[in-house]
Amino acid sequence: MATLNYSRIRRTGRWVDVRRRKLGMWAYALNRITGIGLVVYLYLHLGVLSMLAHGQSSWDSFTALARSPFYLALDVILLAIILIHGLNGIRVALTGFDIGVRVQKRLFVILMLIAAAALVVAAAKIFAV
Amino acid sequence: MNMLEVPLEIFRYKEGEPPHHDTFTVQVPETAHVIDAIDAVWAMHDRSLVFRRACHHSSCGSCSLRVNGVEMLPCITRVKDVWDGRAPLRLDPLRNFPVVSDLVVDLSSFFQRMSAAEMTITCDAESSLPLSVDDFAVSKIPSRAVELPVNLSRFNRFENCIECAICMSACPTMATDEKFFGPAALAAIFRARQKTDSPADVAHLLSLADGEHGVWRCHSAFECTAACPQAVDPAGKIMALRRELITRRFKKR
Repeated sequence: MATLNYSRIRRTGRWVDVRRRKLGMWAYALNRITGIGLVVYLYLHLGVLSMLAHGQSSWDSFTALARSPFYLALDVILLAIILIHGLNGIRVALTGFDIGVRVQKRLFVILMLIAAAALVVAAAKIFAV
Repeated sequence: MNMLEVPLEIFRYKEGEPPHHDTFTVQVPETAHVIDAIDAVWAMHDRSLVFRRACHHSSCGSCSLRVNGVEMLPCITRVKDVWDGRAPLRLDPLRNFPVVSDLVVDLSSFFQRMSAAEMTITCDAESSLPLSVDDFAVSKIPSRAVELPVNLSRFNRFENCIECAICMSACPTMATDEKFFGPAALAAIFRARQKTDSPADVAHLLSLADGEHGVWRCHSAFECTAACPQAVDPAGKIMALRRELITRRFKKR
C-alpha cells in the first residue's frame, strides 16, 4: 500500500506554521527564526572582520558605511533577534527544568515585553550616536 | 429542528492519484458534531470517502483529524463551534503520519512508540472513581462509592489518554525528527515511571526518555498540551521527566 509522505522541506515548514496555533507555537517559531538569523549573522560578522586583513583603507570605508542609517537599522534588527532569542531561551531553560511550566505563556509575554522595552531604549541610543 | 447547510472541504488522497480537496455541502442539525457532517458526506455524496470513527464520545480516539488546520476529535466538536457560517469547513488528516487514504493516516509508528514505552491501557483510575452510575440514577439505590486511592490525583490524568495521536500531529518537532519518541509516548513513560519503584524498571524507563530522540528533543512549543482533548498535559510530563533526569545526573556527581 502506497502512503502519502511529504518532503522534508515541506515538513520543515511546520516549524514556522503558526496559523491557528497557541502562544507556545509562536515562541517556538520565533526561536527557530532568530536562531537561524544568529547563525547567518555569525558568518556575516566573520566576513566583515576579514576586511581587517585587507588593510586600514578597507576597514575605514566599512566603518563609514556602518554609521549610515541603513546599517544602524540592521543593528537594531540584530539586537531584536538577540533579545528575542536570549529572553525566550530563558523561558525554554526554565520550563526545561520543570519550572514555570504552567505559566509558560505568561512568562513568554513578560519576556517579550521586556525585549520590546529594551529594544526601544537601545534603538533610541543607537540612532542618537 | 434548525438545520445548517455546511460546506466541507475535505482532503482526498487515493493511491496513484495526486492529493487534493473536494468540497461537499451537507445539511446537518444545528447541534451536530463534525463527525456527523462527515457521516453525511459519506452517506449522501461519496461512499469512497475514507475516515475512521467508532465511539462518537471521545473514548476511542479513532476519529482524530484536523479541522481548519487544528487537531480535534470531530466526535465532540460541534459544527457551529468551528464553522464561521461562510467559508467551507476544512478537514485534513493528522500531520506527521503517512496518509493511507483521505482522512486516514497510518498510526502504526505511534502504537509502536506506545508499546516501546511499555504503556498498556490501564483503567485503575476509572474503576476506582468515587462516583458510580448509581450516583446519577433517579432511583434511591445507595451509591457504590469507592475510596479514592492515595495519590490518584497525581496520575489519573494520563489514564485519560485515549491514544488519539493528536499530540503527535500538533508537535512541530515531530515533523522533522521521525525518531522522536513524541509527546504521547513520553507521557506514557512518565506514567509508567510513576507506577514503579523498582530500580531496574525506573532505570529502564528513564533510559528510554533520555537521549537525543527522547525528552531533550522537545523544544517547548507546548502544542501537544494545547491540542490534547483529554487534558493529559504531555508537555508537563516531558518537563517532569527532564527534571528527574537532571536531578539524578547531579546526584551522581
